Amino acid sequence: MPAQTDISDSILEVPPPRRRRRRDWTGLLYVAPALVLVAVFFLIPLGMSIWMSFHAWPLIGVPRWIGLDNYARLWGDTSFWSALVFTIQYTIAATVGLLGVAFVLALMVQGEGRAIAFYRTAYFLPVVTGFASASLLWAWLSNVDAGLFSPLAQDLGMTDGRVNILATFTPAFWSVTIMVIWKMAGFYMVIIMSGLQAIPTDYQEAARIDGASWGQRFRWITLPLIRRPFALALILAVAGSMLAFDQFYIILNGGPQNQTVTVVYRIFNESFVSFRLGYGAALSVVLLVILLVLSVVQLWLLRDKGDQS
Amino acid sequence: MTFKTITSGIALAAIALPGIASADEFSIWVRSDGSEFMPKLVEAFNAQGEHTAKLQIVPVNELVQKYAIAAAGGSAPDALSLDLIYTPAFAEAGQLKDLTEFAQSLPYFEHLSPAHLSVGSVDDRIYGLPFSADASILVWNKDLYREAGLDPEQGPTTWEELRSQAEAVGALGEETYGYYFSGNCGGCNIFTFTPLIWASGGDIFADNGQTATLDTPEVKEAIEFYRDMVMDGLVPGGAQTDTGSNFFAAFANGNIGISPSGSFSIGALNNQYPDLDFGVTFLPGKDGDWSSFAGGDNIVISAGTGDSKLPAIQDFIEFAYSVEGQTILADNGALPVRGDVAEEALSQLDERYLTAAKAMAGGRTPYTTVFNDLINSRNGPWITTLNRAFFAESEEEVQQAIEDGQAEMQSIIDAAP
Repeated sequence: MPAQTDISDSILEVPPPRRRRRRDWTGLLYVAPALVLVAVFFLIPLGMSIWMSFHAWPLIGVPRWIGLDNYARLWGDTSFWSALVFTIQYTIAATVGLLGVAFVLALMVQGEGRAIAFYRTAYFLPVVTGFASASLLWAWLSNVDAGLFSPLAQDLGMTDGRVNILATFTPAFWSVTIMVIWKMAGFYMVIIMSGLQAIPTDYQEAARIDGASWGQRFRWITLPLIRRPFALALILAVAGSMLAFDQFYIILNGGPQNQTVTVVYRIFNESFVSFRLGYGAALSVVLLVILLVLSVVQLWLLRDKGDQS
Repeated sequence: MTFKTITSGIALAAIALPGIASADEFSIWVRSDGSEFMPKLVEAFNAQGEHTAKLQIVPVNELVQKYAIAAAGGSAPDALSLDLIYTPAFAEAGQLKDLTEFAQSLPYFEHLSPAHLSVGSVDDRIYGLPFSADASILVWNKDLYREAGLDPEQGPTTWEELRSQAEAVGALGEETYGYYFSGNCGGCNIFTFTPLIWASGGDIFADNGQTATLDTPEVKEAIEFYRDMVMDGLVPGGAQTDTGSNFFAAFANGNIGISPSGSFSIGALNNQYPDLDFGVTFLPGKDGDWSSFAGGDNIVISAGTGDSKLPAIQDFIEFAYSVEGQTILADNGALPVRGDVAEEALSQLDERYLTAAKAMAGGRTPYTTVFNDLINSRNGPWITTLNRAFFAESEEEVQQAIEDGQAEMQSIIDAAP
């Protein structure tokens, strides 16, 4: 075997130099459209955001270069850091809820059959509603006078009189988080389900023949083998939750008493309510860095142990 | 096809389709609050045939952003009906044309709404002219008053009367409430709550907007007046989280005794809820005075608008100021802004409009270039303070909310460029 490897390596290592160059150019040509898209819709706007973040840039009026002043101000901006703390708190709640529910749903719908196909569709349906429309629906359901939850709780005798669930932090926060889980769990269900279905049935059967219980098979076969799709779901859920905005803006307006203002909400307020685009851009850049770090950490935590070599 | 053929094609199309590219055409924007009167006014103006105004209605919460982006991209509208409180900020940012000469050439200049002109002028130059007016008032439900054994023709004139009448209506049934206000809406409360303070001798700003005066006895008293009604169940629970979406609808549903509102609601209630029998009075002070927030729009011209379009826009403004224009405004829920013809414009309408017009004439408009940050922002200090204080559990909590709000407001004012 080693000899064979040597031969194939040596073949790969000495292609005629001229052909190689031409092949490189062809490859570049093939990816050019994608590169152009990335440049126009990602790199250039990113560069402009960074450029703007060095300015006092009013929405109406003339921008003025101020160097790193925005970043210096950001350092002492307690409202930004408290928004970040809240966003992390929400991200933890939403991610645990989303992936937990998605996992259970995925286990339920991984098999075959007509009924299973129906449930799969039913669980996935909320995903295709927009966040704004789902939030509006939820805002109405949560309304204390005209909605559903408060009168229902009162009629069932769960509360004494009608309680405005959007008026205090804890019920308001969980109301929104549950809405997000209801809306997005189906999406992560599909990702995890595809992972589950990719596990060869031989493994499970072999373990079953050896007498492994369901719990043992789950722990030692299922979990290790869905690490990759799970990592994907985790990164998407964390990044999505860190960027939360619509639901808190529409249902709660950042209330009660500004306790649910997320980082993106803060950026929106700076840029389009206070009209300080430069400072908003600086906040965006910092959020981007935080997200990058978070993603790298997650990838590192969930790496395949074999990748280390 | 070359560039030349394309352009000549467009030129041909322009000749073939008259009206599409006439020289005397200009674009004008209005916020969605003006969607009742503005299309009718523009239609009547265009029907005269000389010039054409192209109207675009913009959602109220997006107008400033949209305008700023359009201005940056060189496609700002030629004219704009701008919420008057934004005129100082726009003018100071160099976005608006100086209208001083045109304004002073108008024979009825001194009859134009002084509240509009005061915020439309910067350093004695006029950048915004009064266009539409909306005054805050108090409405009461006459049917519920009859049911409660109150005089249906007599609205409250002091806080004490307001309170006792609200109690009487609130006692009618579980689904009937004495009073309603949008407790989490900054814009609604600057419009309808500050007049209660003004009419009682207080204010929220001093020194031309340079000092916040939230932490004053008058403000605290007004807050306690609202808080008492909340604590005693005279206000529905939804008020605490209403960000303005129910500002009009709550009273229109017919189970609210008294509610602060705006003159726009007279037309809207008459048109959309013809069965609702309601009265209009002033927002009272503690012991009987009254006040009002003089709101509405100024008409402004973008700095980048070409001089060739000015005559058409000036024609439009003069048309709006004519008796015909002012009547169209009045018929569709906006108060007249030209004092000398106001009575004539309102003559066809019921006396409730006259109350609103009187409120407008005696109304006030706070001046500050950071209005959006302080007042209109859904997370700004004004509404955060009020929401905390109105629904506070204890008096200490009220005081704490006021002190926090005072400090934050002042720091925003001080940080303004």
